[in-house]
Amino acid sequence: MTSLPDLKAVNDRYRMFVSFTDAEECDGEFVFSAKDNLTTRDFPSTAGSRILEGYRPPFDATPVARMREAGGFLAGKTNMDEFGFGTFSANSAFGIPLNPYDRERSCGGSSGGAACAAAVLEDHVALGVSTGGSIVCPASFCGVYGIAPTYGRVSRYGLIDYANSLDKVGILSAKAGDLAKYLPAISGKDPKDPTSCAQPGEIGTPKKVGSVAVPSEAVQGLSKGVMESFERALESLRSMGIDVETVDMPVLRYAMPAYYVLATSEASTNLARFCGMRYGQQDGDLTLGFDDYFTSFRSKYFGDEAKRRILLGTFTRMVGYADRYYSKALRVRASVISEYKKVYSRFDAVATPTMPFVSPRFDEIAGMSALDVYKADFLTIPPNLTGMPHLSVPCGYSDGMPVGLMLTADHWREDLLLGTALEWEKGFDMRKPEVMA
Amino acid sequence: MKIGLEIHVQLPTRSKMFCSCPTEGNDTPNSRVCPTCLGMPGSKPVLNRKALELGLTLAKMLGCTIPERTWFSRKTYFYPDLCKHFQITQYDTPIGEKGSFKVGDKTIRITRVHLEEDPGKTKRVGDGTALVDYNRSGIPLVEIVTEPDLSSPAEARQFLSELLAAIRNTIDLPEDGDRSVRCDCNISVGKERCEVKNVTGLKNVENCLKYEAVRQLKVLKAGGKVERETRRYDEERKVTLSARKKEFEADYGYIGEPDLGTYRIAEIAASIKVRETPTAMASRIASQYGIGEKAAKQLVSTSVGLAELFEEIAGATDPHTALTWCTGAVSACWKQYDPSMRDGVVGIVREFASGDLTDTECGIRIRALITGQDPGEAAQAAGDLDALVAEAADANPSVLEDYRTNEKAANRIIGAVMKKAGGKYSSAEVVAAVKRCLDSRL
Repeated sequence: MTSLPDLKAVNDRYRMFVSFTDAEECDGEFVFSAKDNLTTRDFPSTAGSRILEGYRPPFDATPVARMREAGGFLAGKTNMDEFGFGTFSANSAFGIPLNPYDRERSCGGSSGGAACAAAVLEDHVALGVSTGGSIVCPASFCGVYGIAPTYGRVSRYGLIDYANSLDKVGILSAKAGDLAKYLPAISGKDPKDPTSCAQPGEIGTPKKVGSVAVPSEAVQGLSKGVMESFERALESLRSMGIDVETVDMPVLRYAMPAYYVLATSEASTNLARFCGMRYGQQDGDLTLGFDDYFTSFRSKYFGDEAKRRILLGTFTRMVGYADRYYSKALRVRASVISEYKKVYSRFDAVATPTMPFVSPRFDEIAGMSALDVYKADFLTIPPNLTGMPHLSVPCGYSDGMPVGLMLTADHWREDLLLGTALEWEKGFDMRKPEVMA
Repeated sequence: MKIGLEIHVQLPTRSKMFCSCPTEGNDTPNSRVCPTCLGMPGSKPVLNRKALELGLTLAKMLGCTIPERTWFSRKTYFYPDLCKHFQITQYDTPIGEKGSFKVGDKTIRITRVHLEEDPGKTKRVGDGTALVDYNRSGIPLVEIVTEPDLSSPAEARQFLSELLAAIRNTIDLPEDGDRSVRCDCNISVGKERCEVKNVTGLKNVENCLKYEAVRQLKVLKAGGKVERETRRYDEERKVTLSARKKEFEADYGYIGEPDLGTYRIAEIAASIKVRETPTAMASRIASQYGIGEKAAKQLVSTSVGLAELFEEIAGATDPHTALTWCTGAVSACWKQYDPSMRDGVVGIVREFASGDLTDTECGIRIRALITGQDPGEAAQAAGDLDALVAEAADANPSVLEDYRTNEKAANRIIGAVMKKAGGKYSSAEVVAAVKRCLDSRL
């Protein structure tokens, strides 16, 4: 058994955990953490929400159980935006994780705590969850590797739902090798999640891509520092023997509205169940009638962003509006998928920067409107909407802050992403953050 | 008057629709629950294939069009007994559409047949408190929706009763009293309709419709307007009460259920063989064997098993002989009949038909076989009964004359024998013996 670092001291400084072990020794072959929206028997599971404060699930999420079976020791639950609603992990009810490269800045989100833990702790594997970019965004901001697999590759049993048709469990780590090792460990059919049972087979042996396409739409609106790092990254890809070409993917611009319609529609039904009757917070005023009780309890315990998404999602499902929003968004998703498929007939993957800017400072975030925040995800949303596997690798630094390169491959082609990441890691000069506990 | 029904019946599966909790057993509240049927965060539904198959069997029985593929939807509403605050149901692809069901000569159109999960149960315990039991949560339901083709409360009841019998026969639904059926009743006397939600049992459906028809008529007669609304039925007071004004189409915000995939059901449906309904069986038997609608219905309504036995005997002998014995001696002790006795009964009647047994001997042997009675005793008892009947017939000679033109005349003899025997013989036995006696004297 190896000894664990002083998690309390580390967490006091970076706030990556919502809850963590008080053990001093690692009772396993490796240490891992789980995002707090994955259910665990031995830690509360709150999904970053006060409405679930104190909730101790009676079962382990399948990915958590599989990590334990692979010899993993669960060190704690990582902080996140409430139910995954956010880009900066600033929408958590339990504090905000701080960027290891600059504590004035965000870790990204919504798996911010996971990326922070992967960057700060030695030999740490973090389970993250992505709905619209929640793995690659924080991986990029914290300078680590992160992969979100094909939708349905990893069982969602035990994942507290944000948007069931978009949610994917994946892995973040400072080492590309961990992604290649542990993604297969958590993948595979699970009878408890029927959507995991459609996968064609296991992830193939990692293999480097031969060619990538860069959509012209993706290199607009980038910060100067990100643009420079991205261009250097494309040079590095070429030097690895990979063809790089620019393509047009005009349909990508419709991905964002379609994503927000589908994600909020589903989220508003998923959040309907939370009312303090059966689990989590239970201190509602039981002398009220059910409707008043329900409204007052939810008003008190949901955060603002959760309320916003419930309202948006309820609106887009309403009679008379569903055709205009929900049904149309389903059609847009289909056309974005076919746009990618067209590109895959000529290229192995699509390459873009992961985020249009490096991690912003918290005072900058405070000045952003909800819409500004939503727009920050314009690069990560298309692959998420299509359910295609995508990966962020650290590809450079701008003013000391990490920049990420994102690769997206066709459904079930995680092998291409993992193979490329392994190759990339050999040639990339990674800067570790200066960690002080 | 136009009446349309939405009928909910629980499907007889061993486990629930989306989890493996048992559907029956321990009645302690909240003892048959798991994270899925409690809607706990992180749980996922997994479809019970048996529920899908039973639903498809019913859709086929009702002659519905079955789509190539189907999926489920989320119907959002906020009741404490609906643990996820959305019900997994079917919205845009019901497993069956455009079917029909016959009541007498009238065809009632079936709009759609779909599957959904049952919510839990709320129990009010006074002082404004309610308790919720989730044992029922997640039990598979089939919902059958009719067009407004029913024209009276009595017809609605008749329809429901025959539909239930057909459902029971088709999917082996256990006889659970008539409370096992729950109906939403839509009724309009004039232009606007009202919906009375969640009425349990045949009698309540009829009574609630009767009350509602009269109420709407009164409103119209007084020059008022029937308001479109949802009402509920108070079983104790036998009245309907306004529950909530309907915002025209209640907004359930349906979206697809992303946790369950799409199911190719055309193939599954094609492999399902649907058992004949009792009504269809009766009309087929009537025409195939030329025994008349009434006799065929009597056979089937006693039991589908009796009708099947009739077909066996008719095949071995002839329809007339088969009918005589099936409605006579066999029917008289039907409750003790077991399918293992089939060959025995068929053999006895065949001996009778070939002239090896007399009428009386045949009756005695059948009774002895089915009841397990000693043939000697059975002969004795039958002889005693026959003697009683003969005595009564002798005492009322005018009955025989009347009986030539009116079968009901036999009732006088039947009554006399029943009275004298003082409960020693079942009414079916007496009826059979009297008919046999009178027929032989004609």
